[in-house]
Amino acid sequence: MANKETVELVEQKAALMRRHVIEMGYKAGGRGAHFGPALSSIEIVASLFFGTMNHDPEDPTMADRDRFVQSKGHACLALYSALGEAGYITQEQMDTFKGDGSFLAGHPTRNPQYGIEVSSGTLGNGFAVACGMAKAAKIKGEDHKVFCLVGDGECNEGVIWEAAMNAVKYGLDNLVAIIDRNFVQLAGTTKDIMDVDIEALWRAAGWDVLVLEDGNDATSLLDALEAMKASSNGKPHMIIANTTKGKGISFMEGSLNWHARPMNDEQYEQAVADLENAAG
Amino acid sequence: MNKAALDKLQDWSAAGHRTVQADTLMMLAAEHPEVVALSADLTPTARLVPFKDTYPDRFFDVGIAEQNLIDFSAGLALEGLRPFAVGLAAMVPMRPAEQMRAAIGYMKANVTVIGLEAGVRFGPLGNTHYAMDDIAVVRAIPNFTVIAPSDPLSTHKALYACMEHEGPVYMRLTGGPGYPVLYPDDFDFQIGKAIEYRSGSDVAFVACGSLVADAAAAAEILESKGISTRVVDMHTIKPLDTEMLDTVFAENRLVVTVEEHSPFGGLGGAVAEYKAGLAGAPKQVIASLGDKFQRLGDHKFLMKENGLTAPDLAALAEANL
Repeated sequence: MANKETVELVEQKAALMRRHVIEMGYKAGGRGAHFGPALSSIEIVASLFFGTMNHDPEDPTMADRDRFVQSKGHACLALYSALGEAGYITQEQMDTFKGDGSFLAGHPTRNPQYGIEVSSGTLGNGFAVACGMAKAAKIKGEDHKVFCLVGDGECNEGVIWEAAMNAVKYGLDNLVAIIDRNFVQLAGTTKDIMDVDIEALWRAAGWDVLVLEDGNDATSLLDALEAMKASSNGKPHMIIANTTKGKGISFMEGSLNWHARPMNDEQYEQAVADLENAAG
Repeated sequence: MNKAALDKLQDWSAAGHRTVQADTLMMLAAEHPEVVALSADLTPTARLVPFKDTYPDRFFDVGIAEQNLIDFSAGLALEGLRPFAVGLAAMVPMRPAEQMRAAIGYMKANVTVIGLEAGVRFGPLGNTHYAMDDIAVVRAIPNFTVIAPSDPLSTHKALYACMEHEGPVYMRLTGGPGYPVLYPDDFDFQIGKAIEYRSGSDVAFVACGSLVADAAAAAEILESKGISTRVVDMHTIKPLDTEMLDTVFAENRLVVTVEEHSPFGGLGGAVAEYKAGLAGAPKQVIASLGDKFQRLGDHKFLMKENGLTAPDLAALAEANL
């Protein structure tokens, strides 16, 4: 079981990260941001950076660091906010999000010095690259783990399944993938766009699958991640975390309208009020 | 150069590019523990069974899954390994073009992608198995180097050069069984440095891949008619050796680019793009497979059909001089 201090730290960081998401996305003005898919994955990313992963912002490329690959690259604000809270990037750098000349684009660009392991944005590729990184660790006899955040809509991609089969073939039990199952993709609900039983598909592909009923709950996430990280059963691990798209912002939760768009002043004030109310 | 390579030269010429690349990957693997090889259900076709048997932990068959072939290779490379991903030029890079861009080009992953049987070598198998657009696809991806070696030893040396090279490489291979030998002894091969195979002041053939041998034969025909002909082995199409081209443009009256590829975006396109910015450069003719799907036929038939045999090339040059 995750200890109380870690759970509290993750919850505290998750709250700060949500605020960063809103601030960065609002400052991007008319360029907008993928608010919904970043907010659904906040607890997942916070649990990894502030609970599960072995990493050091003072030594971002240390050889035995656990790797984090954000395959659902459009949710980059979840990653950038974690990098900011962990100390990989500064507040000034966060303020450049989506700005001209910034290294913090609307989808992550590989930049190991700042903790960004893999470029992503064209869906499916980050996951398949993460599988290669996990295989490399096995070849080199290294003990670190590779964590990869995948979208539920992203599972529509063919390369996901090419890589899923391959990960089983090579017994990549040093790979833990987490699906942020927020049930909404760009043009509609996952049920409307491609109604498949992804849990059954991942099991059929041969993965070690765990479903979390509340993927925005730090305790369950930390417990699941710890169990998967410790397991070397010869199978790659998949946590399907049921989350809420736009989690934490009243007018975004479960909405089909907040996949990606700009936020106006009124919406910004409401979002900040929601976060402040939640903080008590 | 590895003496074993010279010893194998006759065998390699008889067997063609598949065997040259497979044997060379074995040599590289013996010298460099970080070398790994991958295929997408093509292990026997790519002559990689000995590699798989010798280095079972450093060989990966990802199944019939070219997109994953590229992404998986990128992941291995980001962690310090040196993957050589082998596929058919007709399937790789066209099928996973987007993975080539996002996972290899964009992240500058040290992956060498090898495209076997490029051009129309698969003759009777038909157009789905022809690679007439692979140079164009990869040339447009930043950070990629594109190499089309011309003969057995240059294929061998090009792979060794990839090992020393930082950044992504696409290598398209063309010479089948009876791979003509242009370089019987060790020679200097540098990525981005074209080789003047023969000198001449009227026509210049600037060719890549196994068609360099046909261009050289065409040059003999032209010389017999008193037309002085230069032959340039432009084995690296990107980055283009513009220094060599400057010499050609200054000294030759006609440039004929020769490639087993579409006239768009390949070697001819690359030379024309460079030439566009130069005043007073000579006329260029692009000898290629044309902008079309091909009629069915074996390789020899298709070379004749597209005017890529030595007599055709000589006649093309003479007509445009």
